[in-house]
Amino acid sequence: MEATQVKSKPEEETRIGVYVCHCGLNIAGSVDCEKVAKFAATLPHVVLARDNRYTCSDQGQELIKKDVREYKLNRVVVASCTPRLHEPTFRRACEEAGLNKYLFEMANIREHCSWVHLYEREKATEKAKDLVKMAVAKAALLEPQEEMTVPITRRALVIGGGVAGIQASLDLADAGYKVYLVEKEPSIGGRMAQIDKTFPTMDCSICILAPKMSDVGRHPGIELFTNSEITNVQGYIGNFKVKVLEEPRYVTKDCSACGDCSKACPVTLPNEFDVGLATRHAIYTPFPQAVPSTYIVDRENCLNKNFIVCENCMTTCERNAVDFTMLPETVELEVGTIIVASGADVFDPSSLANYGFGKFPNVVTSLEFERLINAGGPSGGKLLRPSDMQIPKTVAFIQCVGSRSEKGSLSCSNICCMNTVKDALLIKEHWPDVKIYVFYVDIRAFGKGFEDLFRRAKEEGVVFIRGLPAEIIETRKSHDLLLIGENTLEKKLYKVSVGMVVLSIGLEPRKDSDVVQRLFTLSRTPDGYFMEAHPKLRPVDTPTGGVFLAGCAESPKDIKDSVTQACAAASRANILMAQGKVTIEAITPSLIAEKCKICGLCAKVCPYNAIIVDRKEKRTEVVEAACAGCGTCGAECPSEALTMRHFTDEQIFAQINAITEHDADKKIVAFCCNWCSYAGADFAGVSRMQYPTNVRIIRTMCSGRVAEKFIARAFARGAAAVLVAGCHLGDCHYINANYQTKKRIERFWKRMETAGLRKERLQLLWASAAEGERIASKVREMAEIVKSVAPEETEKTKQAFGSVK
Amino acid sequence: MNTMPLRLWRKPLDADQTVVPCAKVYIVNQRCDGCGFCIDFCPKGVLARSEEMNEKRIYPPKAIDETRCNLCGFCRSVCPTCAIFPVERELKEQM
Repeated sequence: MEATQVKSKPEEETRIGVYVCHCGLNIAGSVDCEKVAKFAATLPHVVLARDNRYTCSDQGQELIKKDVREYKLNRVVVASCTPRLHEPTFRRACEEAGLNKYLFEMANIREHCSWVHLYEREKATEKAKDLVKMAVAKAALLEPQEEMTVPITRRALVIGGGVAGIQASLDLADAGYKVYLVEKEPSIGGRMAQIDKTFPTMDCSICILAPKMSDVGRHPGIELFTNSEITNVQGYIGNFKVKVLEEPRYVTKDCSACGDCSKACPVTLPNEFDVGLATRHAIYTPFPQAVPSTYIVDRENCLNKNFIVCENCMTTCERNAVDFTMLPETVELEVGTIIVASGADVFDPSSLANYGFGKFPNVVTSLEFERLINAGGPSGGKLLRPSDMQIPKTVAFIQCVGSRSEKGSLSCSNICCMNTVKDALLIKEHWPDVKIYVFYVDIRAFGKGFEDLFRRAKEEGVVFIRGLPAEIIETRKSHDLLLIGENTLEKKLYKVSVGMVVLSIGLEPRKDSDVVQRLFTLSRTPDGYFMEAHPKLRPVDTPTGGVFLAGCAESPKDIKDSVTQACAAASRANILMAQGKVTIEAITPSLIAEKCKICGLCAKVCPYNAIIVDRKEKRTEVVEAACAGCGTCGAECPSEALTMRHFTDEQIFAQINAITEHDADKKIVAFCCNWCSYAGADFAGVSRMQYPTNVRIIRTMCSGRVAEKFIARAFARGAAAVLVAGCHLGDCHYINANYQTKKRIERFWKRMETAGLRKERLQLLWASAAEGERIASKVREMAEIVKSVAPEETEKTKQAFGSVK
Repeated sequence: MNTMPLRLWRKPLDADQTVVPCAKVYIVNQRCDGCGFCIDFCPKGVLARSEEMNEKRIYPPKAIDETRCNLCGFCRSVCPTCAIFPVERELKEQM
């Protein structure tokens, strides 16, 4: 493979070097690598083809670098493992040799070939040749790309003033950044401020939280917006423009929180902070430790809702701090990073008729219980049952109310088991004679120190009974409660009479999650919590660059986990802001303005709102920094005005052409998205799941990149079948781009039907990165379809789509 | 902006310590000119126009729900003919 071509104009001549890796015996065991390399040498533009044992080793990389210089290679193709593993390695080697890293291409002949065709050496070698051919065909069309650098504004926005938001704000402010903390309620503190003690250490919750809250209030780096909500978010990583609507408190900062106004207020209503167990006035402070401590007027319930009718608070206030002329204010903030710590709601058990919450006064929720046992609560820390204000002799806790069942959330709420164990111990601590039953499904004491606490509760005499009560019946006069159910360990029915029942309610996503989701273009898991970018390795990142998650917004978690996650999110935001800039992978679309017809279809399908179409000005603009590179816009554009860099139409066509050059009628052309289905196919390889050899996978970043013309081209070139695979609906790594895939495939099926073709030759598959078997069985299923395709049918298909470009 | 975490159905525990004035709203029908200020401005919606006419052939207000009255006395302040005034009756538990 000596380079013998004449070098007349080296920059115009494409010189590709191909490296076929043995990977020890991982590839060479089932693929004749030498043969593949020899074949590669015959391909157009290939000036050098080698096979070696470990291309990723230092020697392997050095060889590439040496060859690039010696043979003046300007494209490098490595046929080895999955690009998800070593693409960064080889890209770096290319860069070190002075080659733009986007001039590198990989052929996956391990996970997608040798490992899944362990016992078919002949066919696997043929497939490897095809895969190399595809990579070379694409490589010939690769262009060098410049990566864009985006500056990062060194200010952060934290949404939600619970313990997670507080921790994240303090961390970032201590690191020296300006932080805006936006809280919907009149005070920060969140759920942690409501509860009495924390498990497993039994610390007083507000005692450890209050100092942090006042730190937030005092910190010169933190600007606090309470009673405020985000109304609009624009921009992209590092450069967000956020509008915050601050509702007036009607009390100025002159307030000394003396509380005289509250005493003078004629309006009385239930206090939200005490879950309605205590009263407050229309001018009030939610709780004594509130930050800011300034009082607030609940204008909705105040006599002065529409007109100034009552002046009691104004006349009582010595500092003249009450001001009913205050108006809502909209503040516009420019921030570089955003941390969403919007928290969770609690399950409302009144929908469960068999437990009688809302009907029987002595059935309380665990949140109400927290207020009852809290010394700062309405009962002054005395465990009183609401019906007669007496200390109950027996208390029953019912677990998993609204968790792990169809009624409520299907998932575990994480905190309720330990919360109950803690509550039971608290009762035992104050009133040792109270008998306590805990009805449970499983007690999940998985955390540090949890099992000890659980054991302590058992030692203290708390009775744990497996099996939730089927029904609670109230005794009319005494308001005692009779619990009926089955003890599933003893296989016996039980009837237990208790004085008070605590429903251990689960957490559920915030009711306004969809608003937050829309504002920050986040995605959500099926149970409604916000989804992280990667469940294992990027647990606090979101699919939107520069936006991070902390606390219960991501999933139910206890205080320690919330704080841990808040620190992590702050640290991730800090990395971006400390760098001051971020580079964007050059896989974003470039716009060919002359071709653009300003139709706006691209902007409509963009999950990131990264394309701005101005019909009046007749201008389309791609905001590269906001773009994540899914390519849905490129697939949607009817006038080919958007070129998806590094995944251009021409490159993908070249790959399709390479597949269908020989024996097209025996092959399946597959399009897999980088994140789920391609990774799933990798997983099938890693697990050595065997499937037929006639599938050829083309990698795109998202299944949304797969335009109908690609499928048409594959069929026009005689492909027997086409597979389009993506992430499960709702799990898309580009928020919702795969819904476009679904639409396009459904449209194409209709076209096939009209043309009198069998629909099953085009298959759509949703497979996650863990579902290798789904990919493998789909290929097996399609191999049968391929066999059933008669030559006449292929001819007919070629004619039907032959005219399609 | 306040969000109540749960449906409210329970009587607050401190309800017996919280006393709210209970009012009797006196309306002098003959004096009323029917301007309707008291009805429009009552912050608690205690008043409504009665169906019966008075001697001046106008419809005076009537108290539809005196328990809601907070005794702010604004009706008395706005009434041009001094035809309405609430009086504190006795102390009563709220809710």
